[in-house]
Amino acid sequence: MNVSSQTWIVVADDPAVTALVVAARALSAEVTAVVAGRRATAESVAAAGVDRVLWLGEPAEGTPVEAYAPDVARTVADGAPRAVLGSSDGAGRVMLGAIAALLQAPVLSGVIAVEHDGDQIGVTRSVFGGVAERRDLVTGGPAIIALAGGDVGDPSGAAVPVEEVTANPLTTGRLTGVRKKEKAPVNLGAARTVVAVGRGLKAKADLALITGLADAIGGELACSRPLAEGVDWIPKERNVGISGQQIAPELYVAIGISGQLQHMVGVRDAGVIVAVNSDKAALIFKQCDYGIVGDLYTVVPALTAALAPKP
Amino acid sequence: MTIVVAYKWAPNPQDAAVGSDGSVDFSRAKSAISEYDPVAFELARQVADATGAEVVGVTVGDASIDTSLARKAALSRGLDRLVIVADDRLAGADSTRLAAVLAAVVRGIGDVDLVLAGESSVDVTEGQVAMTLAGQLGWLGLNAVSSVSATDGGYAIERDVPSGTASMVLTGPAVLAATTDAVLSRVPGMKDILGAAKKPVEVLSLDMLDVSSAQVTLTAVSASRPAAGNRQRVIIDGSDPTAAAAELVGALRAAKVL
Repeated sequence: MNVSSQTWIVVADDPAVTALVVAARALSAEVTAVVAGRRATAESVAAAGVDRVLWLGEPAEGTPVEAYAPDVARTVADGAPRAVLGSSDGAGRVMLGAIAALLQAPVLSGVIAVEHDGDQIGVTRSVFGGVAERRDLVTGGPAIIALAGGDVGDPSGAAVPVEEVTANPLTTGRLTGVRKKEKAPVNLGAARTVVAVGRGLKAKADLALITGLADAIGGELACSRPLAEGVDWIPKERNVGISGQQIAPELYVAIGISGQLQHMVGVRDAGVIVAVNSDKAALIFKQCDYGIVGDLYTVVPALTAALAPKP
Repeated sequence: MTIVVAYKWAPNPQDAAVGSDGSVDFSRAKSAISEYDPVAFELARQVADATGAEVVGVTVGDASIDTSLARKAALSRGLDRLVIVADDRLAGADSTRLAAVLAAVVRGIGDVDLVLAGESSVDVTEGQVAMTLAGQLGWLGLNAVSSVSATDGGYAIERDVPSGTASMVLTGPAVLAATTDAVLSRVPGMKDILGAAKKPVEVLSLDMLDVSSAQVTLTAVSASRPAAGNRQRVIIDGSDPTAAAAELVGALRAAKVL
């Protein structure tokens, strides 16, 4: 396949694209965005520092953005870019999957670094849930890369025109409504400090101990999967790990969490990791900066007291 | 109609031996139905019980995925039958290759209107194969599906979205990746396990499937153990909680994270 030197980004109706734009800019001077979703999203992307915006048109009422995946794939294939970057969130995966299927190329996930290596693209990524890292050269066609999306800093560059491209979205699925969450969404990803609790907690009533520490330290409450999905003590959006959030706070305090890989993957990029666990052989003590071997029921109140302002 | 459960028989990387050169050895890790997949079996069974559809399990991978234990583990989770592609040429295959083989199997089964999968595999942990499968089939792919029920002429589903729970109706074929808590998965009982031995298993040859060949390939340059393993590991004895707490708070203040 003849590939151009361009980098393309694919956007699934999410205007927070500066992380993708910055990563794309590092690979090539020219960046094209393919946007599925509302015109407002396309306009926003057009002002985020890209050179060209191809928009697939205003979705009809009830059309999910995922219905545009085949159109996104065809549009990208026509452009024959050297690299394609998309978000690793739900709808992003659908877009990247359609592109990967059409171009018969793998989607690269867990990406740590992407750079030119001669006239090829080299990708370093974390594999098998983070137990190892690999660097590969991508040959034969485009590198399709899933990255954490979102905004890093303010968009830069003059707005470019939005070019509309004809699309034929799938008509097999229709949105019929959204039940809003009662509580405001938790933004664990933005928290500087996160205090997480796991299976070491014996009863739901004991959560007060943990929230007391979170308040004293000025952190958000989080948990490992069993507490969000097994017993339902803590809302699922506070679950950290493969099946939940991947976060990078400056300080992560893990209480009664054994340190299973599936959890630790979610805090791999945390600044400082603190662990409290009664089992001195717990895996987490190999993956923390500071660990206290002890009973959380005595250690946590002592920590809360130690953090309290001195009279 | 047929509902396909696309699942993986895989080891947990927690049990893999990682060499200092970044090599990952799974030879002493036991495989199982991948941790995030039982929910897909359960959803498929519940929908099929309501509609009379057939539930077919499909798994593809290297030769080691086809054992009597692996067959029983899948068939005891509510499948009517199982289709396996087990070929060492698929060892270490990337998400697009696996999705291409799954797509060929789904096309061969015919009459499929729903493919259900878990949100990620336990070993590769990328959460990509199901959505690439949707791309291969040209079907609608949806992540974060928390409920599926049959309606006249299709399915009603719910999905977890950032603002809450979205409802959708499906009137055509789709590939759905279920959230890990969409339903509570039954643990197979003795009756399920005994019944599993009587259910049909079809082993397909990779050579007989119409799988498009990979255009883009990866050439390994290097591997390493992640640097994230290099944390300070200062361990404090908590038998005197007050002293331990004071020591930790002091260390965190010195590190300027408090």
